[in-house]
Amino acid sequence: MLISCNRLKNYIKNSEKIDWFSIWDKFTIRTAEVEGVTVKGKDIDGVVVAQIIECEKVPDSKKLHKLLVDNGKEKLQIICGAPNVKVGMKAPLVNVGGHVGGFKITSRKLAGLESFGMMCSAEELGFADSSEGILELPNDYVVGKDIKEYLPLEDIIVEIDNKSLTNRPDLWGHYGIAREIAAITSHELLPLELSEIPNNKKDLDIRIKNPLCLRYTGLKIDNISTNETPLDMQIFLYYTGMRSISLIVDLTNYLMLELGQPMHAFDARKVNSIEIDTAKDGDKFYTLDNVERTLNSHTLMIKKNKDYFAVAGVMGGLDSEILEDTTSIILESATFDAASVRRTATFLGLRTEASARYEKSLDPNMTIIATKRFAKLLKDIDKEIEFTSNITDVYPNPLKEKKITLKKATLKKYMSVDISAEFIDKILTTLGFKVKEKKDSFDITVPTYRATKDISLEADLIEEIARMYGYENIRPEPLKLELTFDELETIGSKEYEVKRLLATKFALNEVHTYLWYKTAFLNKLGIEKDNIKLLGKSEDNILRDDLALSLIEVAKNNLKYQNKVGIFEIGTEFIEGENKRALAIVLADNVKNVEENFYKLKEIVITIFKTFYNLDVTFKKSKEFTYYNDNLSFSIYNGKDIIGNICVLKSEKASSLAKKKCFLKATIDFDKYVLLNKKEYLYENISKYPTVSLDYTIIMAKQEKYETIAKTLKEFKSPIIKSLQFIDRYVGEKENKYTIRYIVGSDEATLTSEELQDFKEKFINHIKKDGLSIME
Amino acid sequence: MQEELKKLVSNALSDIKGALKESELLNIKAKYLGKKSKIAELMSGLKDMSIEDKKQYGSLFNKIKKDLENKISERIAEVNVSSDISFDETLPVTAHLGSLHPVTIVTKEVTDILRRMGFSVVSGPEMETEYFNFEALNIPESHPARDMQDTYWLDNGKLLRTHTSPNQVHAMQKYGAPIKICAPGRCFRNEDLDASHENTFFQVEGMVIDKNISIGNLMYTMKELLSAIFKTDVDVRVRPGFFPFVEPGVEIDCSCLICGGKGCPTCKNSGWIELCPGGMIHPNVLKESGIDPEEYTGFAFGLGITRLAMMKYKIDDIRILNSGDLRALDKFNVE
Repeated sequence: MLISCNRLKNYIKNSEKIDWFSIWDKFTIRTAEVEGVTVKGKDIDGVVVAQIIECEKVPDSKKLHKLLVDNGKEKLQIICGAPNVKVGMKAPLVNVGGHVGGFKITSRKLAGLESFGMMCSAEELGFADSSEGILELPNDYVVGKDIKEYLPLEDIIVEIDNKSLTNRPDLWGHYGIAREIAAITSHELLPLELSEIPNNKKDLDIRIKNPLCLRYTGLKIDNISTNETPLDMQIFLYYTGMRSISLIVDLTNYLMLELGQPMHAFDARKVNSIEIDTAKDGDKFYTLDNVERTLNSHTLMIKKNKDYFAVAGVMGGLDSEILEDTTSIILESATFDAASVRRTATFLGLRTEASARYEKSLDPNMTIIATKRFAKLLKDIDKEIEFTSNITDVYPNPLKEKKITLKKATLKKYMSVDISAEFIDKILTTLGFKVKEKKDSFDITVPTYRATKDISLEADLIEEIARMYGYENIRPEPLKLELTFDELETIGSKEYEVKRLLATKFALNEVHTYLWYKTAFLNKLGIEKDNIKLLGKSEDNILRDDLALSLIEVAKNNLKYQNKVGIFEIGTEFIEGENKRALAIVLADNVKNVEENFYKLKEIVITIFKTFYNLDVTFKKSKEFTYYNDNLSFSIYNGKDIIGNICVLKSEKASSLAKKKCFLKATIDFDKYVLLNKKEYLYENISKYPTVSLDYTIIMAKQEKYETIAKTLKEFKSPIIKSLQFIDRYVGEKENKYTIRYIVGSDEATLTSEELQDFKEKFINHIKKDGLSIME
Repeated sequence: MQEELKKLVSNALSDIKGALKESELLNIKAKYLGKKSKIAELMSGLKDMSIEDKKQYGSLFNKIKKDLENKISERIAEVNVSSDISFDETLPVTAHLGSLHPVTIVTKEVTDILRRMGFSVVSGPEMETEYFNFEALNIPESHPARDMQDTYWLDNGKLLRTHTSPNQVHAMQKYGAPIKICAPGRCFRNEDLDASHENTFFQVEGMVIDKNISIGNLMYTMKELLSAIFKTDVDVRVRPGFFPFVEPGVEIDCSCLICGGKGCPTCKNSGWIELCPGGMIHPNVLKESGIDPEEYTGFAFGLGITRLAMMKYKIDDIRILNSGDLRALDKFNVE
């Protein structure tokens, strides 16, 4: 929202004592964020009120006139291209040496004629987007005077972040901002000048038929004789982001900018009685912007029977808008339910200055003030007007002032310092609260413009006091640390340590992916997924149930730049409607390395469980999602519990992603993982006697799995076995050879050669007995 | 004999020095110290000497023997290394490095600081209910934050959390008061992507509830936290901010580290970066989670981890973070 400091100065006593440029840093830390402060009009000088004395067309030129102009000191020849020049007209003249719009004006020749200055337009003076001619000044402006004596071209314009005003309906107009400045700078806020309107005429016919209209105040004004907006108001409107349209419309906008109260004027020829009710589903209505809108049964309308005049709180209708020949108006100053206006504006896709204010919960008690203020301002401009109705006010449930008890103890607890009663009284009173001090508390009455949604609790009042006291003045207090050792949850550190292991030990790269599948990627793979969906989206809208698939997409993208990829992520999967935390690791490599990658992935998984829990996980064939190869899918078991899986993407899917590549993944159920218990390793004495290392190579048919050997080995028991280790596998054509190593020894004595021989014989016999062959 | 020994030792030493192979040195050892060596011969004469000489020469022989043995083993070690092995210490090697996501690194830094301040790290679900994301946080139904354009609503009536603040409610309901937690995590807003907008980003939530927690405690904690994060005394600006779940609510800005507060595009020429919304926990929020606001007060804050990571690493396009593009991401080698 844009704020004019010129305007603010009118509401504050001794406003000249305020530094209007630097006050906004203070405003930011006391009230709301200021996004920018712009100085206006400083680049304009040497512009005076001038009068055209002679005017003749320049021969051979379509547009140019040769003028003789009185600038108060001398009479100058000016060559001017504006179409609206005429003798007697007063207009601004930039003297030679003066500046407008960043240019220095010099005397120059136009069409061979010398021009000693430039007549200028509203656009050139910086308060219109475009101008059709030079600016015509009122007749009572004295020739020769600096234009700035009449026009408030110099101003400081402040942009306040709208988001930081979300909870402050009172700050959506200049008067509310002035109230804050007064409180921040300890100045006095001046009351607004209003017109009292005698209550001696007829009421307007206004009926509220739906409680979404909280209050409706109307006034009929006749005999409007001008639609010219005074120049100072035009400048104000332009500087604060509006555009001058015509007097009545400008005044309603002006009131909205001044008080935050949106107003609307209907042409009284079209509207003479009013009801406020919702529309019928499917009804059509042309809004002021000449767009046909389809209404629904929640759209609150200003209407009469079947005629709609305005979408309440959003925009007026084209049919009842103010025209050039309008002399009689019905003025609306109303309050509507904030949520309803918000819904309607969203439904119609039409967010306006009015709706933006209404949806902040405006104070219903402002409607009358705004009406009287409008009357005052219009009367000042146009003496001819007549108020031809009473101020007609329909207000079914008046909002009452709110009273809150602020306990001194609560204030002390929040602020941790004593705040003087005097400070509290001064600040809150300037902000419009009524304060009554008691022994242990303050009785505080909240003004209605702060009571609609902003302030209802002690804590809300504490905020008022704290921000005006200044957060920077509140002494930082160290937290008293209770000595706590137990973490409430371990997930944070468990996630990190696994990530770190994967990155440092296995040189994998962590990536982040989105929670939803990319539709194009699923299509490319020919995979159909059905899961929880994002609303309002037709693409990329299915939440993932397989984090690894998201990583496979990332891997595929990276294969453009590198031969192999190893990536991981800990993220959320959505399975059976629930959040599931998962760790997924994806390896992508040349298809000939698929086996090597499988064992690498297996090693990674085993290392994770061994490192952090000292657990030995096992693997067994399983079936996972259909796009993984069933023959190459394995569950990861911790004991009897499945805690994850390792899979290989089906080769036809893989080849649709990249030529001659394979994609492998491991997924670990991280919800289960964090709950595992660490198996503590217990120290075993190192034997004092030497041990012997015995290597054996066992031969087995190719289709057999190591499992078979493992089972046989497990059954072989001997008291001298210290450890057993798998060393390597040699893959042959029909048979595989597996080398294993026993470390044998005794804690009591050095093994004798007989003992060793006995062990060897027994072992070889055991292996042979189970039908395996062994290389001796 | 003195002369003879001296000559012997000097010959041996020069032989040792001149040898280039282990085998040569073993021959030298046999020659000078072996059973048929001159020394052995001289030593065998010891038995015929007087007691006095025996003592003197005995220890001298032993010393010479030991010295030569040492010299030979040293030389053996030397020739074995230096003979035909040499290193090029300038030859490049490949360090096989993995990487952590920049957000992970920054999250770790921030949570480590908070842990040292006594905060427990907790987590919560990314798919949330309306209750935890809005209602319990005093965000009424008509609040703009509930709009379609901000929130990812799901077809099961739930939503993707729009902030980490639901973790406040989870923690209060699970663990009660007093409590001191932080909760890092992903958040989701239905936004169009551009260089500075992402629909998926990270925050960390912090919350402290105890008897007599004050605004001063909040100020202290935030200033300490930001100084620790930036490892320098940063200029901090505290201003009022509105969030339905805190009252009073504040925004904590820090001076822009890119331009040093002079004004630049990153800070929108204001010299300040909005970093950390916070405030005293709204009494309604405490009440909703079964904590008596008359007995307990508390504060909460949020910190944009994604923004912090971007500031730290001077990342000017937020989209790189979720791109999975290893050309950018594999440079973040763990710490």
